[in-house]
Parts: sequence; structure tokens; C-alpha cells
Amino acid sequence: MATTNTLTDSSPTPALAGGGLLVVLPALHHEQYQSLFANLVASMPAEELLIAAPEGIQTDQYPALRFVSLPSTRSAWTLTAADFTSAYQIAEKNHARAILMLGPECDSLDPSGLRELAHAVVAASVDLAVSYYDLPPRAGLVNSSILYPLSRALFATRVRFPLAIDLGLSLRMAEQLAAAATRLVANNQGDAPIWPGGEAALAGMTIEEVDVGGRRFPQPAEMDLNTILPLVTGSLFSDIESKAALWQRARTTPPSRRRIPANVVSPSDANAEIASMIQGFRLGYTNLLEIWGLVLPPNSLLGLKRLSQLDGAAFKMPEQLWAHIVFDFLVAYRLRSINRGHLLGALIPLYLAWVAGHINVVASGVNPERHVEAVAAAFEADKPYLVARWRWPDRFNP
Amino acid sequence: MFNILAVLVQASPTETTQKVYSEDATIWRHMSEALHLSLDRVVSLLIAVLPGILAFFVSLAVFTLVGMAISAILRWGLALVKFDDRLVRYRASGEWTPSTSPVAIVARASFWGCVLLGLIIGVSAFDASYATAATLPISLLPYLTHAVGAILLLIAGTLIARFLARSVLIGAVNAQLHYARFLSLGAKWLVLVLTAAMVLDHLEVGGVVVELAFGILFGGIVLTLALAVGLGSRDLVSRSLESRIERSGERTNDGLTSAKDGPGETIRHF
Repeated sequence: MATTNTLTDSSPTPALAGGGLLVVLPALHHEQYQSLFANLVASMPAEELLIAAPEGIQTDQYPALRFVSLPSTRSAWTLTAADFTSAYQIAEKNHARAILMLGPECDSLDPSGLRELAHAVVAASVDLAVSYYDLPPRAGLVNSSILYPLSRALFATRVRFPLAIDLGLSLRMAEQLAAAATRLVANNQGDAPIWPGGEAALAGMTIEEVDVGGRRFPQPAEMDLNTILPLVTGSLFSDIESKAALWQRARTTPPSRRRIPANVVSPSDANAEIASMIQGFRLGYTNLLEIWGLVLPPNSLLGLKRLSQLDGAAFKMPEQLWAHIVFDFLVAYRLRSINRGHLLGALIPLYLAWVAGHINVVASGVNPERHVEAVAAAFEADKPYLVARWRWPDRFNP
Repeated sequence: MFNILAVLVQASPTETTQKVYSEDATIWRHMSEALHLSLDRVVSLLIAVLPGILAFFVSLAVFTLVGMAISAILRWGLALVKFDDRLVRYRASGEWTPSTSPVAIVARASFWGCVLLGLIIGVSAFDASYATAATLPISLLPYLTHAVGAILLLIAGTLIARFLARSVLIGAVNAQLHYARFLSLGAKWLVLVLTAAMVLDHLEVGGVVVELAFGILFGGIVLTLALAVGLGSRDLVSRSLESRIERSGERTNDGLTSAKDGPGETIRHF
């Protein structure tokens, strides 16, 4: 009769010969674990793997795999500071050579993607391997509108998903991230996200983007945009604020090696959600103009006035206007012009306007990825505006 | 007959004039005495209270100067140790996000703390000197100590009203409520009316009239807001229910994300 081994032991395992790859897993269902183990074994030699997973998983079907227990985290949709701290501690204790951190729902990752991520940090000596996901044109819009353009413009990295949930880390990169995470954990903010791209840029480490294809994405428990957008944007703004000395120096973004996928969206009318977003923006324009006036310069307010007069398919937020808006909100976040919760809440109608414009652009037949790249290029081109406002905010006070 | 009349006409004006003059002198004397007494009383009161008033202003001025000095030292010292940067590093995404830099907050808090201390000491000195002259009642003086508390209440109430009004406005706009400004104004006036009632109660002005007026106003605003929200938020509730049903449908559909999805797909912000 076969016995079932259950992972409950937290004692360190014997060190892997020459240092293996530590694979850090989130809490998954039993079937998901089995599927993931099959993918891992298919993509890498099992004896080189050390799996760190929450206690209670059954390991009897893969005797070649070695397991250590990992404290489970509370976040179900992204990697948090606590995850990075635990990962580094386990890697150091077990003399791992590199770390593969996989996010929730990672059983849906393709084995080739897993292999590429692991290969980048184990064989190619890259410090940070970040996943590039194959997303539908209307998914990951916060990332496309704010996170990616800001990270690219300020940290000079072309990482398309700065908050990717599947990462490959060298040991020194893990140490750098754990140091950043420890400060948050010590301050009882273990659930806060960490921005690996910024940390890698700060430490001068090598970054590579790995195309892992499609995956099932976990959604935040709080599906409300009004909660999540301020949380994520506020976290990035704080990270940018703390690295001001780094990004104010002139840096050149490396040329893109990423292929822009073929245009898969046929020109069509945008759906009814656009009308709701435009309505949300107009409602914001009617009611929040006084608050926006504390943050945005007259030029941007004029641009918003013009935008509020556009209708239907003609509705599109100009790239430069959007870049200025995000930069001005970032400066206001730093200067604390108004309460930060209010500030990030007031950004939501403007973000909805960008989304409505983006969907209109995509519906007109433009490749969504090209539009996102155009937005990111506008952020890069206008970086001097941000630097000037950051350094001499009193020269212009809206 | 004519003689008698002539005597009467000659004699009576002199007597009447003398009598009236005598009564006028008495009134003038009484008035003068009353004025002198009143002046004496006020002068005595001023003499009794003046040291207290002087102590109040001296205490306020001294502690304001001390506060300015402490504030300047704190600003200099905290800037030297880069307090703002350290705090940002240690709490990257904190819930509490003040609208001023931490150094400025600490400096201002120390300054206003000193001013408040000076105010308290000054008022207590004034109170002590007034107590010695308590035999001289001036009804406005007891309000001074209450007035300080009332002013603090008013400032706190106004700040809270402004903060809440902005929070409600932004939240309502993001929930796409068309009456967002109305809700925001309602929340603001609720707090302002409450503050005004508390201030008047603290000053002991109005008595029952204030309580009654406050009850009517507060109840009226709450009823108006409840009617407005109840009648106006039907769309919001139905939208919320629809999106919840759609969401549960999405969760049961466990498909992989793919770039081959058509243009009719739902929008995902994350």
C-alpha cells in the first residue's frame, strides 16, 4: 500500500551539490501542485530542484524532488515583501544558487517558460529574469498605462511587467530584494509589493525579460479598482520617491529585443464599457476639477477640458497629456499637495479616460502593443519635465 | 383780587425755580455718585485683572518664541539626519499619508504645542487673578477660558468637515454617482452643524434653543441625504449586483488568458 508523504518538516535539507535552484511556490490546490511538479520535472532535472512550498502538500508522486516548508503569505495575487524575505532566507540556508519565484496560479505556466526563466538565472548569469506575459489586448491596463511607462522612463529598463509574479533571481539579487523587503516587513507591511526592476537598477544588476507565454492570472480579492489602483500606484510612487537620486541621473534605455506581437484585434466598434468610462471621466471633470487644479498645471487642465468635449470613437487621451498627468500626480505625491489617499483617488477618473482612449485606438485597428509603446516613449521623452518639476517644484505651483 | 393775583405771580416763579434747581442738584449728585462708584468698580476690576491679562500675553509671547526656537532647531536637526528620507524608506506604502512632510509636521506640532502651553498657562494665570476679583461680576470674562476650547473645537470641526467632504466627493465620483457633489456638501454640513452646536454648547450660548435647532437641522440633513441616496442609487445597486454576478461567472470560467481573445472580451485592469 502506497503511503502519502506530507510536507510538514521545516528543518533544512542537505545542501545541493554545487548549489541548485530553489523554486518558491505559493499555496495551490493539490491538483495544481501535481500539474506544476510535472511541468517542473519536464523542464529541469529533478535532482537540481529544491521546492519551497507551504506545509501540507503531498509529495509522494515525485520522490526525486526535495522539499522545504515555506511560511504561507496572505496575498493571493502578487508577490509581497514577506515572500522575498522568506525566499532569501531559505535560499541562504540551503546554499541555493538561484531562485525561481512563482506566483499564484503558476500551474498554468508553460514548461518552456519555466525552463527559460530558470536558465536565465542559472546558466546565463542574469541577476533578474522577469516574465513577459502574452496578455489579451484589454488586460493588464494599469500596467500598460502607468506601471510600465513610468518604470521604463525612470529606471531605463524595458521590463514590460514591472510587477511580474514569476521571477528568476540570482542569489545577490535575492539578497538585494530581501533587504528592501525586510524594511517593509519590520514596519508591519509584509503585504506590500516589491518592485524588482527598480531594485535591480539601483544595484546595477543585469535584467532580462523572458517570454513565458500565456498564463492564468490571479485576481485581487478586492476586485474594486478604487482600492487596488491607489494601492499599486501608491506603492510605485513611494518606490520612485525613495530612489529619486538614481532616476534623476540621465540614463539610456537599452534597445528593445522584444517582438511586438501581430495585430490580433480586428477593427470594430468599442463596447459599451467605454461609454461608462467616458461618463466616469466627465463626472470627474465636473466634480473634481477643484482637486485636479491643485495638482495639474493649466495646460493639462485645458487638455482635459478638450478631452471632455470629445465623444465616442474620437475620444482619446493624447500620450503627452497622459505622461504629464502621471508626472504631475507623482510630484504632488512627493510634495503632499493634498492627502495622498485623495490624490490617488482623484487619479482614477483620469485613468478611466486613458483606458477608454486606448480601447478606441485598439478598436480602430492599431496594434495595442504599439500604442502602449507610444505611451511609454512619450513618458521617456517628457522625463526632463518630471525632473524639472521634482527639483524645482516652487517654480510652478498650480 | 388783582392784588392777590399779582402777589402770586411775583412769588411763585422764584419758589418753583428754587425747588426745581434743588431737585436737579440731587439727581446730578446721585448720578455723579453712581458714575463714580461704577468707575471705581471698573478701575478696581482692571487693577485686579490687569496683572492676569499681562501674565496671559507675556506667557503667550514667551512660549511662542520658545516654540519658534524649538521648531527651528527640530527642522535643522531632522533635516541633518534626513528624517524624511528615512521615514519614506521605512514605510514605503503606509496607510497614513499626511499632506505635509514629516519634518514639517514635527516642527509645526512642536511650535503649536508650545503656543498651546503658553495659552493654557496664560489662561490659568488670568483665571487665578480673576478669582481674586470675583466680587466684581463681569459676565463676559468667564467666556474667555471656554472660548479657547470653542476655537479649538471649531478648527478641528472645520478640518474634519473639509477632509470628509473631499473623501466623500472622490468616493462618490469613482462610484459614478451623479449627485456626488450633493453628497459631499451634505457630509460637510453635517459635520459643520455638529461642530457649531458643540461650540455653542461649550460657550453655553443658546441653551435649549441650540439643542432643538441642532436636532432639527441634523435630522433634516440626514433625511435629505437618505432620500437622495435611496432614490438616486437604484442604478448603482443594480450595476453592483450585475457586476457581482458577472464576476462569479468569470471565476467559474477557468480559461487561460490568450492574445487570441476577441474585441468583445471584458476589460481587466490587472
